[in-house]
Amino acid sequence: MNKIRIIFEKEVVDSLRDYRSWVTGLFWALFGPLMMGGILIMIGSSIREDIEKPLNLPVQNPENAPSLIQFLEQHDVIVEPAPADPEGAVKTGDLNVILVIPEGYGDDFSSGKSATVQLVLDSSRQSASTDRTRIQSLLEGYSTYLGTLRLVVRGVSPEVIHVVTVEEVDVATPQSRATALISFLPYFIIFAIFNGAAPIITDTTAGERERQSLEPLLINPVPRRSFVLGKLMAAFPFSLASLAITLIGFGIVFNILPVEEYLGVRINLTVTTLLSIFLICLPVVFLASAIQMLVASFARSTKEAGTYLPFIALIPSLPGLALAFFPVKPELWTMLIPTFGQQIMINQFMRAEPFSVSNALISIITTIIISAGITLVAIRLYSREQIVIRKR
Amino acid sequence: MIEVQGLTKSFGKVKAVQNVSFSAFDGQITGLLGPNGAGKSTTLRMLYTLLEPDSGFARIDGFDIRESPIEVQSRIGVLSDAQGLYPRLTVRENIRYFGRLHDLNGGQLEKQMDKLIVLLDMEAIADRKTEGFSTGERLKVAIARALIHDPRNVLLDEPTNGLDVKSTRAMRQFIRQLRDTGKCILLTSHIMQEVAALCDQIVIISNGVVSAQGSPAELLQRTGKNNLEDAFIEAIGSEEGLA
Repeated sequence: MNKIRIIFEKEVVDSLRDYRSWVTGLFWALFGPLMMGGILIMIGSSIREDIEKPLNLPVQNPENAPSLIQFLEQHDVIVEPAPADPEGAVKTGDLNVILVIPEGYGDDFSSGKSATVQLVLDSSRQSASTDRTRIQSLLEGYSTYLGTLRLVVRGVSPEVIHVVTVEEVDVATPQSRATALISFLPYFIIFAIFNGAAPIITDTTAGERERQSLEPLLINPVPRRSFVLGKLMAAFPFSLASLAITLIGFGIVFNILPVEEYLGVRINLTVTTLLSIFLICLPVVFLASAIQMLVASFARSTKEAGTYLPFIALIPSLPGLALAFFPVKPELWTMLIPTFGQQIMINQFMRAEPFSVSNALISIITTIIISAGITLVAIRLYSREQIVIRKR
Repeated sequence: MIEVQGLTKSFGKVKAVQNVSFSAFDGQITGLLGPNGAGKSTTLRMLYTLLEPDSGFARIDGFDIRESPIEVQSRIGVLSDAQGLYPRLTVRENIRYFGRLHDLNGGQLEKQMDKLIVLLDMEAIADRKTEGFSTGERLKVAIARALIHDPRNVLLDEPTNGLDVKSTRAMRQFIRQLRDTGKCILLTSHIMQEVAALCDQIVIISNGVVSAQGSPAELLQRTGKNNLEDAFIEAIGSEEGLA
């Protein structure tokens, strides 16, 4: 036990002096929160702009349809004169959408026929989609409104033309709609845990072999398991720090930015939520260190280890990425998969959903058991003579 | 005291060491002489417990290398072929780490460390980080950390490899000093002159087999030659791989 502490202390001091690698690690830990903050600001500002601003709509021949123009103006549309070549102007991207009212509109309208208007648009242009859908729904609204009036005048119930009425029941609470965006959050959290441990694990295993200090070290009267455990534990503080920094970063981003104003919902990332996430992620620190230790011990050099470890960090993050698109219910089987269960629980915390303590316990215990198993494999690996005769 | 009996080790089809037997006594320098690839380092690595013999046994101060590796490790000081240091730690921190792994601490550890630093003439670099050290400086640190627990038995793998003339002479002098304190010293070398100048007992190995052993006088007598170098070549059967 004492030997484990000696090895732990030496590796922590040694790693702290390698300040370049842990400062880089800090930046990585902040990467997730910074990116999420950036996306939030962009989404937030574009949604607000589009909804609050009145719509400027160029209209050709507005004099042909005075009542339509009046209707549009009542609905926050500023009618402008259209250019001579509407199609050209939309094609070049100068204007998003142009309404053209043909000469015959007035006659058709008065005689009760279906009167045609043209909407010049470019459906391939994403940035114009808000303008397009807004004006399309206004025109449909106008058409339905007048059609209903006409039926009433003729003594027919407007329900005759509404064979099927579609009523949308949206079960998404405002908060769950916003988590579609922040479903990426668990991905960043798990990644930060792996990333925090990686440089220390690399240096204490592959690095030890690369600088030819492994053989002299192993001649010391210390059981091999103590070397493995001491080096493994030395990665814990760095991995924990990376996790904590990422969580604090997310906490700051979601509490300082007016997320409620941007998305119209409140995000549940209080201190308690962050602490809960930190606690259920603790076993992942063990897992991330153990699995990376096992893999890095096969590497002959730090460079070789550097090509393996990012993969290892990516694999457990994949379920989190999938969660962003396919919500998974927190069933028992998901809790048995290390990192997957944690990511589902992180999602639950953020959605302020009821949370099952037994799920958390199952997830924590299976993750610890699997990590301990991986550690045993690493100890066996270090007990074999191949650990030193492998070509340098 | 090191006793080796019938030690054998193969790597796949390569028979690195075959049935090697010898003894190295306290207060003596025993040299394993042989050309490159003869099995000297493999023999030494089995003695310092990093490789496990296929058959045969070895005992250090009576402790079997397979049955009590930890006892063996605490009774040997090893300068292996790999002499990597921790570049972000100072000389003292490098040595202290190994000392603590040998259960030394506090004043006892610091005293022994100061003694070695004086003995190896490295007061000037003792508090410097070892990054960028010369071969000679690195070797001194590697020796100091190997001897920090004042081991009874010292195993040196090609100890003068890569050193200049001045450092080589200093190294040989240091090895003699160790011998004179009563330690059992076992070194490997492919340099005939070095073995002839240093060793009290010589074990000649070629192709993994011991071809002759004894004191310099015994070797001369056995081969009927009048100088040691001729005796070595006679015993090995070839000059290849020697220097």
